[in-house]
Amino acid sequence: MIRRTKTASMTATKTETATEIPDHHIGRRKLDIAGIVFQLALVASLLACFAFLMVLIVDVVKDGAPVFAERGTDFLTSDLSRDPAQTGVWQGIKGSIMLAMITLIVAIPLGVACAVYLEEYAPATRLTRFINLNIRNLAGVPSVVYGILGLVIFVQWFEGFTGGRSVIAGGLTLSVLVLPIVVITSAEAIRAVPQSLREAGFGVGATRWDVTRRLVLPDASPGILTGLILSLSRAIGETAPLLLVGAVASNFFTSGNAGYLEQLHGTYTALPVTVLTWARQPQAEFRELTSAAIVVLLGITLLANLAAILLRNRYQKKR
Amino acid sequence: MHTHRGFRSLLVPLVLILALVGAACSSGSESSDSSSDGGSGSVAVSGSSTVEPISAANAEKFAEANPDVAISVDGPGTGDGFQLFCNGETDISDASRPIKDEEIATCEDNGVEYVELKVGIDGLSVITSTANDAVRCLTFEDLYALVGPESEGFKSWSDADDLGTEVGGSGDYPDADLTITAPGEESGTYDSFVEIALEGIAEEQGQDPVARADYESSPNDNVIIEGVSGSDTSLGWVGYAFAQENSDTVKELEIDGGDGCVAPDDETIASGEYPLARPLFIYVNKAEAAGNATVTDYVDFYMSDAGRASVAEVGYVDLTDEEWQASVAAWDGR
Amino acid sequence: MAGVGGGLGRPLSIGATPGVDLSGDPWRQRKERVVKWVLFSAAAVTLAVSAGFVIALTGKALEFLSNIDLGLLWERGWFPRRGLFDVRTLVVGTLMVTGIAMAVATSLGLASAIYLAEYARPRTRRILKPILEVLAGIPSIVLGFFALEWISPNLVQTVFSDAGTFNLLSAGIAVGVLITPLVATISEDAMRAVPDDLREASYGLGARKVTTSLRVVFPAAISGIVASLILAASRAIGETMVVFIAAAASGGSLYTVDPLEAGQTMATAIASLATGSDQVAAGGGQDAGQAFNSLYFVGLLLFAFTLGLNMIGDRFVQRIREAY
Repeated sequence: MIRRTKTASMTATKTETATEIPDHHIGRRKLDIAGIVFQLALVASLLACFAFLMVLIVDVVKDGAPVFAERGTDFLTSDLSRDPAQTGVWQGIKGSIMLAMITLIVAIPLGVACAVYLEEYAPATRLTRFINLNIRNLAGVPSVVYGILGLVIFVQWFEGFTGGRSVIAGGLTLSVLVLPIVVITSAEAIRAVPQSLREAGFGVGATRWDVTRRLVLPDASPGILTGLILSLSRAIGETAPLLLVGAVASNFFTSGNAGYLEQLHGTYTALPVTVLTWARQPQAEFRELTSAAIVVLLGITLLANLAAILLRNRYQKKR
Repeated sequence: MHTHRGFRSLLVPLVLILALVGAACSSGSESSDSSSDGGSGSVAVSGSSTVEPISAANAEKFAEANPDVAISVDGPGTGDGFQLFCNGETDISDASRPIKDEEIATCEDNGVEYVELKVGIDGLSVITSTANDAVRCLTFEDLYALVGPESEGFKSWSDADDLGTEVGGSGDYPDADLTITAPGEESGTYDSFVEIALEGIAEEQGQDPVARADYESSPNDNVIIEGVSGSDTSLGWVGYAFAQENSDTVKELEIDGGDGCVAPDDETIASGEYPLARPLFIYVNKAEAAGNATVTDYVDFYMSDAGRASVAEVGYVDLTDEEWQASVAAWDGR
Repeated sequence: MAGVGGGLGRPLSIGATPGVDLSGDPWRQRKERVVKWVLFSAAAVTLAVSAGFVIALTGKALEFLSNIDLGLLWERGWFPRRGLFDVRTLVVGTLMVTGIAMAVATSLGLASAIYLAEYARPRTRRILKPILEVLAGIPSIVLGFFALEWISPNLVQTVFSDAGTFNLLSAGIAVGVLITPLVATISEDAMRAVPDDLREASYGLGARKVTTSLRVVFPAAISGIVASLILAASRAIGETMVVFIAAAASGGSLYTVDPLEAGQTMATAIASLATGSDQVAAGGGQDAGQAFNSLYFVGLLLFAFTLGLNMIGDRFVQRIREAY
């Protein structure tokens, strides 16, 4: 896929010069009104997309600003409370970080290993083709269905290990959810590694694993990192599966003096679940709080996405 | 060369991420110490979403004085709560109705003994627009005729005339649009309304105990108030406290449960005169109350004056002193 | 694609002269085999996930179907707690949201793709495309809140004064915004992959840029464009939180074909069941005990729907890869 895009970008640069020619040299000097209207319509469509993004951001920032103005960082570091003047997003942020950490630990190694197998080791058999197809299909399964999977497998079957509706169960569910994304982005990055690099490795007698570890993976690392960031951002932004596997949608809980390891088996919430909880509170004060929590959530996910996109573009260009 | 640059570009952000996470973790765990003493030090409360705010308010106050305890309060519903409670998974179960016989049986099978404490009363207000002068008081029969399972398709109040007469209501409703906005089926408030107002008549009529399916439902009370105030001849129901807060935009109707029309207020609800009200309970696991000091302390706090104050603070009606003393006695004599 | 490096792993044995052992250190070979098995088991996990889906969903879904009167799957509306499991309500609700979303995403997404691929200068594209992709990263709960608080009152209710606060149209528009980047980026890639020979031939015949874009490049890239639309539709069908917040009739919905009303989609039905009160021990009408189990049935339905669409979309993606 990546390699395809690479050639595509080369041809596209050529297009730019090629298309100028008819206009300047052969072109009838008649005003192409239909063409101008068409181009304006295209630009308008693109601008409409950006307008949505702008309005959304301006809207939530405007609504959420008073909370930050009055509370400052106190809003970020306070626990949930029934009292709108005291409540905060800290437990949500902490829950989301724990979920993201579990995803990082479980999904990334598993996904990268799977991608390495498919790209470097797998023979071109039916089974390999099936695994590839299966992964692409898994990427298209709606997140709420992953929630059901998590409910049955991690909350019910493996209750002994996860402790039921715990942060581990939530984290494992999200890990399975982002696994296809990690595999697909990593596989693309590995596929884009020049074949000459591998041949050089084999040429000096390195084993396949050495070539993979020392040459292919380092070369593919920016692409893999992109997938890592995208999947973490996905894990932080997901709500629906967490509703099924039991993130607490309540206005109060405390973990007391439980250490982080104990908390893994305990009650938890996550930033997007906090947003949902507050959005459903009848008191007017919670509307501002909802917007403020959205600002935090948007800030984290959009920055992560932007970083991933810029990183990918940079290394694509380098090739 | 190529290799080195690639590897470093992966390492630097990774280290950054890990450092960030590490920082977040360590800043949070300052207060935590490594000691863990089995089940104690923590309280698990579940059950009715209606009672949840009281238990959460008390948990919050209790945790302020006792920062080392872990308390979780959630509200999956009374029935789901009892299922957890009778399996021994929770220490305290919130309930917006007394425990049912089959739930008692489950508790007995699992050796779970409990003490039942009544902590407050929740009133439901049937509301309409402040502009609606035609209606002042409704009986349960009227409510059945207007929002019961057989009323589906009624677009005007007067469509319910025949049904109202049949079930023993007034059967003389205004000829005006009937727009209903109320909580959806997944909410505890819906359940209470159906159980108190509709269930008895539905049984006599041989119908399922449900409300009509064709009304506007919302999980957000504000939307219900908006819906009810948005039409002059609307109908709906919400929790009593929330209706009181919005008394400038919606009108609370009087309800006749068989002994005459009664308007909802603190006294009529506390005394039981107002029929659309239900008691709120907490059920405490006796073994936990004896063995887990944190559970004991938490319920002690619940039954203290500060704990009692939470009931009114979150919008429910306080028990009379007599009833409250009876609950305190039940707790002390467990 | 997968087997690209496949043949290169055994060059040593191919060139081996009989009698001379060039296979190298046996320890190295053993290690190599272990590594291969470890990596293969990672790949096998993805198969296990799919198996998990099938087992987790079908078991309970069949239990649900065998416990209810199947006639209830086609009656009046989706009210699981009172034993009405009208699948039609969910499917039609899903189709309405998806249809609206696709109308938005097709027009905005394809127009953006044509602009970026055929008109924008490289520098402009380098700035605009990432912004478009950022749009895809907005958490769906945020868009749901935005649909309810902004799109519904400011767009939908100003045009249709009789629309409710919660309506499927607002949700559909928001889902459309969510999937527009998907349509735009994949279509743009497909259009840029069209060889320049085609464009030059078109210009050579005196065609204008509009004509070239629409009549030459667009048809040549049609496989990729169709693939982007199918993948986007599959995403829209499964979108949960946007619709749950902006349009979900709480508790259930009667059968409706009016996008100005609140309604249910397959995905929101699952979310509603998971968040409601007393779901596990639900009382109420007959068969209400089966209410929670209906979640698995709807999940299976949704899984099958998206799987089918993805398979079709995948065919088209494979075709672009083969085209040039």
